Amino acid sequence: MIIEISSSGGFGGLAAAALSKRIDVDQQSTALQRELCEYFEPRDLRQLAAAPCRSRCADPMIYRITVTDERSGRHVYTLREDQLPPEMLDLIDQM
Amino acid sequence: MCFSCCPHGAHHPIHCIIPPHMLRVLALRGDERQADMARSLLKQNEKIRQEREEHIHPLLPPDDALPVAAAARGRARKSAPAFFDRRIHDGQHRAALPGVLVRKEGAPETGIADADRMYDASGEVLSLYAQEYARNSLDGNGMPLIATVNHRRNYNNAFWNGDQMAFGNGDGRLFRSFIDLSVIAHEMTHGVIQYSGGLIYQDQAGALNESIADVFAVIAVQRHLGQSVFEADWIIGGELLGPEVKGVGLRSMKAPGTAYHDDMLGQDPQPFHMDNFLSTTDDNGGVHINSGIPNHAFYLFCMLLGGKSWERPGEIWYRALQDMNNPMAGFAEWSDQTVGAAISLFGMGSPEMVMLRRAWKLVGLPT
Repeated sequence: MIIEISSSGGFGGLAAAALSKRIDVDQQSTALQRELCEYFEPRDLRQLAAAPCRSRCADPMIYRITVTDERSGRHVYTLREDQLPPEMLDLIDQM
Repeated sequence: MCFSCCPHGAHHPIHCIIPPHMLRVLALRGDERQADMARSLLKQNEKIRQEREEHIHPLLPPDDALPVAAAARGRARKSAPAFFDRRIHDGQHRAALPGVLVRKEGAPETGIADADRMYDASGEVLSLYAQEYARNSLDGNGMPLIATVNHRRNYNNAFWNGDQMAFGNGDGRLFRSFIDLSVIAHEMTHGVIQYSGGLIYQDQAGALNESIADVFAVIAVQRHLGQSVFEADWIIGGELLGPEVKGVGLRSMKAPGTAYHDDMLGQDPQPFHMDNFLSTTDDNGGVHINSGIPNHAFYLFCMLLGGKSWERPGEIWYRALQDMNNPMAGFAEWSDQTVGAAISLFGMGSPEMVMLRRAWKLVGLPT
């Protein structure tokens, strides 16, 4: 499974300040693989993205998460940082 | 409004003190009698405005020549009680909010540099709102001011999430810090906007949300430094950029589009005129981009008026925000709202009103 994460938005609205990460899950340690699969399961990302956003957030980062695996193909989700659980944001920061 | 505008010379004190923006609403929503009365008074307003404009000198009179009543209206400010409730947290480089409480109101310095700077800077902003605009904290009712520093790792951002603000440390390359008075005032003002009726964070309404946050950001900085409008640099985020980045800050209200031009960051994309309004789906419809237009209008207004930005210009912008009742307002409506506030505070035909209309025209509003 390949996970690609890019970000945009934020206080400056700057594309250039955005992150861009690509991780091959199969190349990671067993513990990290487990964590990544748990948090980046396409079904769960779809639920997070579909949840109604009642946030009054200003200047949030927006994350575009692309999950590609051989079984289910390519899935792309766009989520605001306040839609993502803090554990997932910590994982993104560690990548 | 004066007695002479009342029909048939009769004095109707209530009719004579209704400001024009209220008359426009009455004309739309009142019953037949109220709507007729409102339309009649608006026509008389327009007549008086035209008569005054024939006599208005294009040069602004010096401050000490202002009519006493208008000066008194503009400067008579009540302060709100200054009982702050600051709660500064250390995010410890993780995403969970608010983190660990490290400094509450009245507590001594912690030794955590960003937390102590946040404490001081947020106090400056709370004082601005309390002393200049009689607003007790972000909600007007003394709500706690919750802030988190050291949010996440290498986090190139700061935000307001509806309940609190959070600040990253930057990656050290593009951004060296987000603990900058203009950024802190910007995020706190998003809270003020939220509690003042809100502006949807999308397209023109979102750009207004951003612009008003920038306006009170520069006001906070200028007030802290005791600067006149001519002494200020009008930069948002002047302390943010990394050492190798070519730029003066994230945004310039004086010269939108010039704040940075850098290989890593790109070029500042902000327009300063409606002719260059950017229609985009990025950035929630360009909220950080098109904010350059109303930002520049505020700057021009301050240049035309002189003095201190937190006084007459700030009072007008604050009053307009409190009076506005449309979370989807666009730039044209906002420009009208500010002119209405100028009229309410300083009078029809006042230099403040005239110069404000001029400033909006210079950025192409109303279209």
